[in-house]
Amino acid sequence: MSSDGLIPNETVQDMAQDVTYFCPFTGALRGTVMITNYRLFFKSMDREPAFVLDLPLGVVSRVEKIGSASSRGDVSYGLVCKDMRNLRFSHKQMEDTLRKSIFEVLIKFAFPVSNGLQIFAFEYGQVFPENGWKVYDAVSEYKRQGIPNESWRITKINDHYEMCDTYPSTLAVPVNIPDEELKRVAAFRAKGRIPVLSWIHPESQATVTRCSQPMVGVNGKRSKEDEKYLQSIMDVNAQSHKLFIFDARPSVNAAANKMKGGGYESEDAYQNAELVFLDIHNIHVMRESLRKLKDVVYPNIEDSHWLSNLESTHWLEHIKLILAGALRIADKVESGKTSVVVHCSDGWDRTAQLTSLAMLMLDGYYRTIRGFEVLLEKEWLSFGHRFQLRIGHGDKNHTDADRSPVFIQFIDCVWQLTRQFPAAFEFNEYFLVTILDHLYSCLFGTFLCNSEQQRLKEEIPKRTVSLWSYINSQLEEFTNPLYVNYSNHVLFPVVSLRHLELWVGYYIRWNPRMRPQEPVHQRYKELLAKRAELQKRVDELQREVTNRSASSSSERAGSPTRSITPVQTFV
Amino acid sequence: MFSGKPMKPTFKCYLPPVQTDVKKTIEPPIKKLEPKLLPGEIVVNEVNFVRKCISAESSQDDLWGKLICTNFKVSFIPQDAPPKQKSQLSHLLLGAHDIPLTCLEQVVTVNDTKGKKKVLGSNQKLKFNPTELILYCKDLRIIRFCFDEAGPESAKKVCLAIAHYSHPADLHLLFGFEYQGRRYHESKEGRVNGSTPRGGLQTPIFDRSSDWDREIKRTGASEWRVCSINENYDISPSLPEQIVVPVSLADQDLKLYSSFFTGNRIPLWCWNHPGGSALVRMASISDPLQQKKIEQRVFTAITKSHPQRSDVFRSDLDKCLPNIQDIQSAFVKVRQICVIDPFEESEERWLSSIENTRWLEHVRAFLKHSAEIVYHLDGKNASVILQEEEDRDLNCVVSSLVQLMLDPHYRSLIGFQSLVQKEWVKAGHRFLDRCNHLKKNYKEESPLFILFLDCVWQMMNQYPAAFEFTETYLTVLSDSMWIPLFSTFLFNSPKQRAQHLMDFAKNKAIPPGEDQVVYFPPVWDWSQQFSTKDQTLFNNPMYIGKGAACVQNGEVKTFKRTKQKNYSSTLRGTSASMRNGVKGADETLPRRGSLVSELKPDFSPVKDESPSERFFRDWFSRPADQQGLLIPLLIPSHVALWRLFFLRWVPEACIPKGGPVTAYHKLSQLVDEIDILQSQLRQYKGPSPGSMPLPSPGGPLSDQRRMYFKASSPNDPPTPPDFLTSSFPFTPMGNLCRRSIHGTPISKFLNGARIWLSTETLANDTV
Repeated sequence: MSSDGLIPNETVQDMAQDVTYFCPFTGALRGTVMITNYRLFFKSMDREPAFVLDLPLGVVSRVEKIGSASSRGDVSYGLVCKDMRNLRFSHKQMEDTLRKSIFEVLIKFAFPVSNGLQIFAFEYGQVFPENGWKVYDAVSEYKRQGIPNESWRITKINDHYEMCDTYPSTLAVPVNIPDEELKRVAAFRAKGRIPVLSWIHPESQATVTRCSQPMVGVNGKRSKEDEKYLQSIMDVNAQSHKLFIFDARPSVNAAANKMKGGGYESEDAYQNAELVFLDIHNIHVMRESLRKLKDVVYPNIEDSHWLSNLESTHWLEHIKLILAGALRIADKVESGKTSVVVHCSDGWDRTAQLTSLAMLMLDGYYRTIRGFEVLLEKEWLSFGHRFQLRIGHGDKNHTDADRSPVFIQFIDCVWQLTRQFPAAFEFNEYFLVTILDHLYSCLFGTFLCNSEQQRLKEEIPKRTVSLWSYINSQLEEFTNPLYVNYSNHVLFPVVSLRHLELWVGYYIRWNPRMRPQEPVHQRYKELLAKRAELQKRVDELQREVTNRSASSSSERAGSPTRSITPVQTFV
Repeated sequence: MFSGKPMKPTFKCYLPPVQTDVKKTIEPPIKKLEPKLLPGEIVVNEVNFVRKCISAESSQDDLWGKLICTNFKVSFIPQDAPPKQKSQLSHLLLGAHDIPLTCLEQVVTVNDTKGKKKVLGSNQKLKFNPTELILYCKDLRIIRFCFDEAGPESAKKVCLAIAHYSHPADLHLLFGFEYQGRRYHESKEGRVNGSTPRGGLQTPIFDRSSDWDREIKRTGASEWRVCSINENYDISPSLPEQIVVPVSLADQDLKLYSSFFTGNRIPLWCWNHPGGSALVRMASISDPLQQKKIEQRVFTAITKSHPQRSDVFRSDLDKCLPNIQDIQSAFVKVRQICVIDPFEESEERWLSSIENTRWLEHVRAFLKHSAEIVYHLDGKNASVILQEEEDRDLNCVVSSLVQLMLDPHYRSLIGFQSLVQKEWVKAGHRFLDRCNHLKKNYKEESPLFILFLDCVWQMMNQYPAAFEFTETYLTVLSDSMWIPLFSTFLFNSPKQRAQHLMDFAKNKAIPPGEDQVVYFPPVWDWSQQFSTKDQTLFNNPMYIGKGAACVQNGEVKTFKRTKQKNYSSTLRGTSASMRNGVKGADETLPRRGSLVSELKPDFSPVKDESPSERFFRDWFSRPADQQGLLIPLLIPSHVALWRLFFLRWVPEACIPKGGPVTAYHKLSQLVDEIDILQSQLRQYKGPSPGSMPLPSPGGPLSDQRRMYFKASSPNDPPTPPDFLTSSFPFTPMGNLCRRSIHGTPISKFLNGARIWLSTETLANDTV
């Protein structure tokens, strides 16, 4: 970090004195604002120690000018942020009418895309010891799962994103389906997103495959190739004579999609397949739910009716349905040894939530820090979750109907799992919060663009830094000390509101009465240090004893010396 | 008496019955359908071929066996005992299928074919032959027995006996009075002459002035004295014999004043702050004419006992806290939702249902009020008088919570027990009425003590390293209320206790001068109920306190997030955001410009801050010292349902291989390793260097270990042990059997998704 507190290639754009920040918790504060091409920095010396607000501009969703016509000639600006807070500032009316308010400057840099500027991630040039772009390699991840094998092969059909421009270039498909047929399947699946392998059970060979909805339409169109394809997904799993198709949507929504040419698999057309609707609502419902949640938790929580207010946001209910769906998938695969196909409409929102959560439950690898990074790279980024659209990086159009907290919901679900299984994850809460912070910050290239193809075109890996470079260079910060690496531990969470809880460490973290700490983890680290210290002392004494007994035995040769039992060590 | 008579062999078993003796019954069970009886326990009635329902879905796991009613418990003896679950808490006096009669809340008989149902009381008639017996227990279990293969008459008799014996006509008929007498005489030989005082009990029980003296000394309450005017309960039956009062008040005056207080309860000193402020509790004064005068005198005396002579703050709890009926009705509702209603049904609107019970609201109200008192004692250094009409209910909760927040001593196990002893047992909380052991007056029943334990749990949940004991301890303590064998929860007042124990000693030929702790022990003698090994489940591996692991050179080492490398610039945005966007969190009172008033409501108005809010905000802005003042977070989002207590029996809510216990497991193993290393160090350092003994690699003997879970070894299973569930160390298996719940377990997870239930054939579900 440079002495002026700026990060590489961060440049100051404007500064202003005498700005008031209205802290919703402690009242108005007067101070200085600095706007750079990356952040807003507010500092007030009103308090001891100084009060500081340090906000990456990427989190700003909208800037509103409020009431310039006040008697004292003050101008107020409200900043609505993507990370569950609103900020309000005000300063004196500019005497020089030509001079822009500092918040006009802020608007320019908060929405670079709308203003013909570059997102800061392309400028940030920090070098880290590890290159996070190397964390995920599709071929090695499939290899880890044992693919290719006698039933599944890697196809290069999408090498140039010709079959499907929202899919990755590397895909795993059943061996007996030639590339030619894949194209015909693609024609029957929305956006060409054919069923492909996400995960295979190491023992039963039951699989999790993902795709988009079939283009059934009002007339109930069928595709022989698609039917054969699903049949072969079932056939390559010798353990079961059934295939489960999990449609993430409520059945009503799925049916309504027929009007737009989509729909769902009919059980007549797909022999041996059973269709299950998981009742998860669409992106618009989720966006509305999070908006309500923000109303309930920010800035303050009402003293009464907390639980019913929380209930009325339906946020936890949605979390429950998503986890319940993932649990059903995991249970089918693990306990039923049955292969499953998962889709929603396009297969990039709810489908990504479901497959990645099911994989987290099924495969302990994804519960390590690196494994989790691989999971995100694979199920979310490479399979085309539209981060740019859902988050709206650098875009001022805050009312865009494509924005939705689908990914936040997923991270929330992961947090719920870590609550129920505190020793099953290598990462801690701070890791999850950091991912969400940088989902918005636009400091790293990881969550930019909508698909692998776009990322390649924009040369994201070449021109930006990966979030994993930053995280993997200081793993200690993100490690859960309680982690136990049990093998074959499948997590079956209890998906009930009795156990689901609001993630206060994320949604309520701006409240100063909320203590951001992980006391159990902290205590565990203290104990680890204590153990290390004791072990050292015991080892020293042990050596001393060994030396002494060695010397004494040489003095009194012939007298039997007791053998020294090595001190048991625990690592 | 009956127990002297040897029991007859039953037709099931032609072996001679075992003689009933505690020592022998603890031996490995011999497989026959004989109840394990305690000394003095007799079988009243029994019925064979009874089916105990285990799961609501199917009868395939049900157990067949004999149902027995004794003068102490309802016992079920299964024909084929299932293998005992590993690492499940096992009670020394009660089997896995036993329920003490005092633990029964309701005895319900059902006749399915006739569609009849009756709640049985004492001495009642039953006009139908029951096909089912459902026992609703005070520890929230629901146990169901079916009589489809049992003799109808004997089944009916057992049901009536259970109902009858669970409604004892008088206190001295509670089984403890029989049992402790026998136990005293039978174990007499076992006790060495002049054995350890108080039977080795370390918890002060405040029945002698030395306990009070020590407390005065410990808290530095030099302006307070032990007064003995209530010796032989001459003044008040509900006060202890020793009372701590301001030195400036003479016995004479106190005697005079006492008649004006409700129940003759003169003000009672509880605790002193190191700054000099005192916590005092008192009943109200009935005579309005005298009220002002006497209060004035008392207040003056308390002020005189304060080094700064600061004013006394009075808090009238009757005016600002829920009353005992409110608490009872909240508990009934929360129990209904947690254990009685079908899982599915209550899942529907779980959050608002929990809110509607108002239980958490009450918990929060007590914590909040206690925190306010802490502000006066600590923040303002003012003495506080807690006032309540009778000074025997709400005052118990608040005074003990205040002391838990202020004084780390009470967060140790012994300290906590002494606190309950001091503020509940000796202060005259009506345990007998509030527990309703005699099932006589339901209006007097109120789970005040459970509310208190829940408040303690909330603090423990927020400050997991601050308490020496665990939530298992709190839960087990709550369960002990329903076992009528300990003197702690049986009486309404110290006088009643003294009288009953005196009569008891006389009747049981216990030599005068014998310590009542020895002949009728309190619950604090945990070896009565649990093995040494099981008692280690009470120990919190995270505890920072006396002798805890991490205090070095008198300083508590804390680990802050340190940045290893210089990537702080990237972190800046996030680390600041982790700290509420408030880098210098230590804000002072905000300056308020006129700008504030112009704010639009949607952008967060700024409200005025009271001095106490200021005090709390200051405290929260600093890192918490686990061995100092602790204030609970009182945002509604931080007051949670105590899951272990309320949901431990609910099979659907049990997380397999998960729950907080998995962290406890890991922590305990680490602390066990630390203990082993420490004992090795001691062995090296201990004797003279010349004859240095060899450290035993295993560390301390296993029965001396503090931790329940031993240091991990390479032989540990590669998967988490099966017994680690969120209910640990309790098991929901067969302990909660509600009627008529349908569907497969997996379907329960998913009640929101109604639609697919119709499209999917659940029968095909492979579970």
